[in-house]
Parts: sequence; C-alpha cells; structure tokens
Amino acid sequence: MRNDRNSFTLRLLSTLFVILAINFFLPRMMPGDPFTTTSADEAGEDIIVMTEEQRLYYMNYYGLDRPLYEQFLVYMKNLMTGNLGRSIYYKMPVSDVILLHLPWTVLIVEGATVISTISGVVLGTLSAKNRKNGSDRIMMTGMIAFAEIPSFLLGLILLLIFSVHLRIFPLAGAITPFSDYNSLAEQARDILYHAFLPVVTLSLSQLTGVYLLTRNTLITVTTKDYIRTARAKGLGEKTVWTRHALRNALLPVVTRTGFMIGIMMGGVVLVESVFSYPGIGMTLRSAVIGRDYPLIQGILLVIAVSILVCNLLVDKIYGKLDPRVVV
Amino acid sequence: MIKDIAFSENAGILSFIRALNINRSNRINRIVSIVARPFSKFSTEGKIGILGILCIILMAAFAPVITIYPPQKITGNSLEPPGPEHILGTDELGMDIWSQICYGARMSLTIGLAVAFTAGFGGGTLGILAGYMGGHIDQALMRVIDVTMSLPGFPLLIVISAFLGPSILNVILVLVLFSWAKPARIARSQTLSLKKNNYIIAAQNYGAKPFYLLRKHIFPEVMPVLLVLVISISSHAIIAETGLAFLGLGDPTSKSWGMMLNHATGFKSIYFTPYWQWWLLPPLFMLIFLLLCLAFISRDMERILDPKLKMKKGF
Repeated sequence: MRNDRNSFTLRLLSTLFVILAINFFLPRMMPGDPFTTTSADEAGEDIIVMTEEQRLYYMNYYGLDRPLYEQFLVYMKNLMTGNLGRSIYYKMPVSDVILLHLPWTVLIVEGATVISTISGVVLGTLSAKNRKNGSDRIMMTGMIAFAEIPSFLLGLILLLIFSVHLRIFPLAGAITPFSDYNSLAEQARDILYHAFLPVVTLSLSQLTGVYLLTRNTLITVTTKDYIRTARAKGLGEKTVWTRHALRNALLPVVTRTGFMIGIMMGGVVLVESVFSYPGIGMTLRSAVIGRDYPLIQGILLVIAVSILVCNLLVDKIYGKLDPRVVV
Repeated sequence: MIKDIAFSENAGILSFIRALNINRSNRINRIVSIVARPFSKFSTEGKIGILGILCIILMAAFAPVITIYPPQKITGNSLEPPGPEHILGTDELGMDIWSQICYGARMSLTIGLAVAFTAGFGGGTLGILAGYMGGHIDQALMRVIDVTMSLPGFPLLIVISAFLGPSILNVILVLVLFSWAKPARIARSQTLSLKKNNYIIAAQNYGAKPFYLLRKHIFPEVMPVLLVLVISISSHAIIAETGLAFLGLGDPTSKSWGMMLNHATGFKSIYFTPYWQWWLLPPLFMLIFLLLCLAFISRDMERILDPKLKMKKGF
C-alpha cells in the first residue's frame, strides 16, 4: 500500500512536470522569434530592422541564446519565486492579475462543492431508501439525463430562463457596479445574489455523480451483516441509516468531492464565460481573445496546480478517515 | 447463455457457434448481441437515441437538399425573425439560421467521429500491443497513460489551441492527444486477462503467430468494449469542440454549433432583445439533443455488454 501511495505522489509530480514543460515549450514552438517582427502598421512608417549585432545583443539580454535546458532552469527558478511574467493586456504582473480574480472562482467552486455534496448525499439516501418504489427510477433517469448536459450549456439555459426571460437574477458580474453598501450584510447579500446562478449551474452538473455514488454505496452497505445486527439489536431505522449505513457510505463521497473540484476547475472557465463572472475563467477567456500569452500560461498553471493539490489532499484525508488504507 | 443464443433470429450464426468450442461461446455471444440483433436489445431510451442520431446524420448528409440558402451567404435582412422566407430567421449578418444548423451538424459529427475513431482505435491498438508484449514497453506506456489521464484536459486544450491557432485539424489533433489514454488502458487490461485464457494458450501451442493471435482472438474480443468507448469519446469531443468554439477558439471559417453560440452570445445586446429566441436557442437545443442521444446509446451498449453493470447501476 505504501508503495502505491508513493507512486501516486510520483504521478502527480510527473504530471506537474509535463504541464510545466508544455507551458515552457509552447511559445518556443511557435514560428519566428521576438526579434524578427518587422511589421509596420501604417504605410510610410519606418520599418525597424535590427542589425545582426543588435539582434545578438538582445538575444543575449533576454537569455535566449543560452541552451534550452538552461532557459528551462531559469524558468523554473522564476516560477519558484512566484514570478509568472507580465500580462500584456493588464500591464501588471500575471500573479497580481490572478490573485485579483481567483477569489471569485474559489467562491463559486467551493459553494458548488458544498451544495452538490450535501444535496447529492440527501437525494442519494432518499433514493436508496425508496429503492423499490417508482420514485427512485424516475429520479435516476432524470439525474442521468442531467449529467449528460455539459455545465456551460446548462448555465446558458438557466441564464436564458432566469435572467433573460424571468429577469430574477443578474445577467453578468459578481457585484452590482458602483454600489455603496450600508452594511456588510448588504454586501454579502449582493455577492450571493450574483453568485447564485453560477453556483447552481456548477452544482447541478456535479450533483449526479455524488447522487449515484451515495445511492450505490448505500445499497451495497445495507446488505452487510452489521446492518442486520444493528437492526437485530433493536435500533431505530433512523439510527441504522445515519449512524451505521451512511457513515460508511460517505467514505467514497469524500474522494469524489476532491476530484469534483478538479473537474469543476476545468468547467468553470466556460461557466464563468456564460455568466460573465469575473473569476479566472473569464480572465482566461479575455486573455485568449486578446492573445495575452503570459496570462494564459499563468492561469493554466494555477488551475493545474490547484487540481493536483486537491487530488493530493483527498489522498491524505482518505488515509485519515479510513484506517484500512494506511497499513 | 446457450438458451439466450437460441432465441437469436440468425440461424446461420447459431449453428456456427454450436460448432465451436464451448469456451468461446461467451465471447461470440457478446459479438452476436452487438452485430446480429442490435436494435431489439436496446431499451426505449436507446432506441430514441439511435433514431435521434440517425436524424442528425441525415440532416448533415442532406444539408444541401433540405436547405434553400447556403449557410455562409447573406440572403436576407439582418436579424429577421422566423418566417416563411427563413424558417428559423437570420443572424446579425443576414445568414439563414436553419442552413447554419444543418451545415453545423456536419462539423460536430465530423469532429466527434474523427476524434473518437482515431483515439479509440489508435489508443486501443496501443493498449493491445502493450498488453500483449508486456515488459518494459508495457510499463512505459502505463506511466504515460497515468500522466495523460491526470492532466487537466480542458484548460490545457484551451492553451494549446490558443498557441497553435484555430483550425479544425488542430482541434482534432489536440483532442485525440487527450482522449487516447482511456481506451488504451482498458484495451490493455482486457488483453492481459485474455492472454491467460486456455483457448489462446492452446492456439499459441499450435504455433499461432502473434499477429494471427491478435487479429483472430484478441482484437475481436476487445472490439465491443472499444466501440462503447468510441461513443463516449465522441460525445466528449463534441463537448470540447463546442467549448473551444464558444470561447472563440474554433475555426473561424467554419460554422459549427459552438461557433453559432459564440457569435450569438458575443452579440452586444443579445439578452435585451428577442433575438436570442431564434439565434441562441436552436444550436443550444441541437447540441443538448445530440449529446443526450449519444449518452442514451452508450449507456444501453454498456448494459448490453455487461449484465453485471446493469445490477450495479440499478437499471
């Protein structure tokens, strides 16, 4: 088992390395180099062509004449010190741009994680209890159909229904622009009001996974001997379900929650674009449109690292919760 | 198992199976269930899925016949509501939306199928070869698969397509790069367990060459599983292409459904005008319909392939 867990960490590290390598080599794979651009926007404008000497000087200045592995080491060193380069569009360090937008993304992703986990477990338990009735089958079919709709299309539907048609929720943004808040509660209300639809979208798209997992583990668990023993002892149905069955069925849900955050970090880019929600996903979209390469790379790195960290955390927490895993 | 086959309409295959070793009847039974009587085994949802997909394929194939206007030509006024002239109205440049939907189906289907078949069968072949050969090659491939599967697919997809530039070929290549790992892994594990079967060892002892074994015994066995995967990969590919196009990273010269969404949501006052009703809704509904059909089919095929799964999933 221990060996297995070591290889898990190793896998995460090699994944991180591959992402860094892609991030590093992609710009260098593009045709041309920064010093051969000689375009002139208007006719008659002087085209500055560098002499060979100047070109060599700048190549040396930016360290582009050094061997590739040395450049890679420098790149890694910069990353370690949190230097992600400068955004072309925002004219400030990439790390600052990301820090400015990351809280919004964290807010909706965390909100969606909590909501979908809780409601998934509740619905899954209900479904498992009523396994023999028709209500379970209806719920199953509905949930499975829901799971197949990608989150951003779902978001678009919700936006059209609630913001465009019914006009209950805002169309865009995370706060009402130019508003003064009298109290902290009012500000919190405004933020929740704006975050509502994105959170619901993300939760709905993740709900089915938790629901199915809870339902299926519960069904397996309730056939176990200790459940029969608990019933034989004369414990009430409620105690049997919550203290004996659900407690054991929740273990895989914990793992699922961690991976869910990873999946959502990928989907959040599109969901934020749908709701024009100013998190890092929306920033990524505008960076893509504006071809702001350093920013694109920085955001990719942040998303990738947060996914890997989540996976690592899940692995650790799982070891704590289930003593059988760590031998 | 035998009784099950006896109900098969196909008497020719039936006698063929009886003539064969009992050991193999399970395998052939599965293939028969996929090839010889495909439709009757599907549930209602699966049948709806197949009919839906057929409709979309027909729509894509006969796009020039069922539309009046070419999709990329200005044929009417800007933002005309649906009417007798233009069935679904026009977009902001005056292009017919119904034509765009029909021609856009080609785009989604092409990308879905191209990615799914390349990744599914390419990855599957790699997995079979690695599983069959074993040793260092197998180990190396497993490491690569592990890493590929834990890469954050969609964010990386965005970055790579942003750098490589938008073209259909690039999108397909990148998508293949991210979806070959799963079929490879499953094909490998299937091959590993197959290799230990008596009939394969027997064939080997009779002097069967590796290529013959792979072609005659292993590939037909792994095939049905790959087929299910191909469907799920194609729906993933369609989602990814739509997502990329929605972000503005699609091929600008093509009119896929994702591009239509991108154009419509990019239009400044789309939500404050009634235009979204005929500009945004049709591609949205078509995409969801297509994805649901694919999902129904793949779920049903999984169920047909593996009766044990049916119990587990509670159907």
